[in-house]
Amino acid sequence: MVNMDKILVVDQVTKEFPGRTAVSGVSFSVNKGSIHGFLGPNGAGKSTTLRMIAGLLVPTSGTISLLGAPVVADKLNHRNLIGLLPETPPLYPDMRVEAYLRFVAKLHRVSNVSESVDKVLEALTLTGVRHRLIGNLSKGYRQRVGLAQALVFDPPFLILDEPTNGLDPQTVVELREFIKKLSAQKTILFSSHVLPEVEQLCDQITIIHHGRIRASGDLREIHRRFRQGLVLRVGVLEHETLPDLSGLGKYEVTHEHVVGHERRFDLVFADDRDCRAELGRLIFDRGLHLLTMQVQSPELEDIFLHATETQS
Amino acid sequence: MIWIIVKKELDAYFSSPLAYVLIGLFSLITGVIFFNLLVSYTDGIQAIPPALAEEKSFPEEVVYPLFTNLNFLFLVFIPLITMKLFSEEKRQETLDLYWLSPVTDTKIFLGKFFAALGLIIAMLLITGVFPLVIWGVGIRDFSLLGTSYLAVLLNAACYISLGLFCSSISSNQIVAGLLGILGIMFLWMVSWGGHLNSNYAVAEIFTYVGITSHFERVLRGLVGTQDLIYYGTFMFLMGFLTVKCLGRRNW
Repeated sequence: MVNMDKILVVDQVTKEFPGRTAVSGVSFSVNKGSIHGFLGPNGAGKSTTLRMIAGLLVPTSGTISLLGAPVVADKLNHRNLIGLLPETPPLYPDMRVEAYLRFVAKLHRVSNVSESVDKVLEALTLTGVRHRLIGNLSKGYRQRVGLAQALVFDPPFLILDEPTNGLDPQTVVELREFIKKLSAQKTILFSSHVLPEVEQLCDQITIIHHGRIRASGDLREIHRRFRQGLVLRVGVLEHETLPDLSGLGKYEVTHEHVVGHERRFDLVFADDRDCRAELGRLIFDRGLHLLTMQVQSPELEDIFLHATETQS
Repeated sequence: MIWIIVKKELDAYFSSPLAYVLIGLFSLITGVIFFNLLVSYTDGIQAIPPALAEEKSFPEEVVYPLFTNLNFLFLVFIPLITMKLFSEEKRQETLDLYWLSPVTDTKIFLGKFFAALGLIIAMLLITGVFPLVIWGVGIRDFSLLGTSYLAVLLNAACYISLGLFCSSISSNQIVAGLLGILGIMFLWMVSWGGHLNSNYAVAEIFTYVGITSHFERVLRGLVGTQDLIYYGTFMFLMGFLTVKCLGRRNW
């Protein structure tokens, strides 16, 4: 039985190239209407996986299904369902923006080419450059044209491979807003190195490393899973140091640094028990000056590092 | 779908200086060749007694050498046109556009093939002024002009299919262009092998496999089934290999 909440199901996919295995037994799924973050360091197998999903590469084993139908590289049936913006957008520098988008729309047999092109030009604020040569556009505009080609035939599923990479901050914010708006109508698989961006945009994530999935699922659930105990940031005066806290439970100082006149300690306790009151009392009793006490929740970066370091 | 690709490629040719430079250069060189052949023919006629002049055949003296030279020019011109058709797209990673759309590799090949053939036809159209010049100087013998054009077109089509195959196996334009030139030269040299070999059967095979014998027959109006089969088979084979090569991405 096909679960229609899952628009994409990647099941035990392996891709071998001569002499190396790029991805091995990769499984994850993407929920309909979500923005799914796909994370991994360079060479982790991200692009190979994305290209297999888009039907540009054939898996050595395993299956990929989109909207319940298998994706087969040399079959044409799924090709109007996926819009792909690769890391290097497939642009012709000697074509004009509008002509290029018309060409892509015609390749995808769009019924009303002019209307579709006008719509996407307007949505991505490209109307002002529609008659300009793509080769003469700034990187930001070229990226928008790349996104426009993925959208011009209105596919239900979008794959965006590092769409904001190397863009100026203003364009990044605009594109991010645009992607957020898009998620109301489309499902998006979004790969990025900018972890705060993924945290901001995505409801679900998958972390891949060395061709294997390290974590996949709901972002909050993954946060919970990777939070191993209470993490506190405690600040005292610069010349002071923390007393022994072993009475509060097993703990470890993971980081110590000085900010202005304050010495800060990052403490990780083995269990999740909230011991802030006892810790505060202990510090006051020793005549120390408590300047900061903050519960730290693990950031996506910590989760990412944990997933890619400890299991590699 | 094929027409969409043809139109895009033709737009690309004519939006860059390359097409104009090639057409201009081709017209200049063919014009000079035609002028020299015509002058040499008319000088020859005037230099011999009128009774012997009738034996001087205009097609033999002007038409065949002209079209043989056109065929020779294709050695450089066609690889220049075809070398970037796939290799540049590979380099720019724009082939993904086709592969993400419901277009088959065969249609991609045919689209690029007909676009390149269109450019060659545009180049040959310029040579259409030659019959007018011939008419102008009082020569009325236009026999075999049609089959001569057919011969160069068929050869050009074969070279284009070969050039497309070369372009599909390399992402470097220069390599693709050089392979195209070598491929065309190989087709000629196989024909020469037919002339040099003393074994009749082997010589016949060489002659059939080489393109020159077919070109010469069609040029002289002797269009045979075996020639059409040769041209058709060659283009089909090159198309097949190109499509296989494009499909290699799935490996």
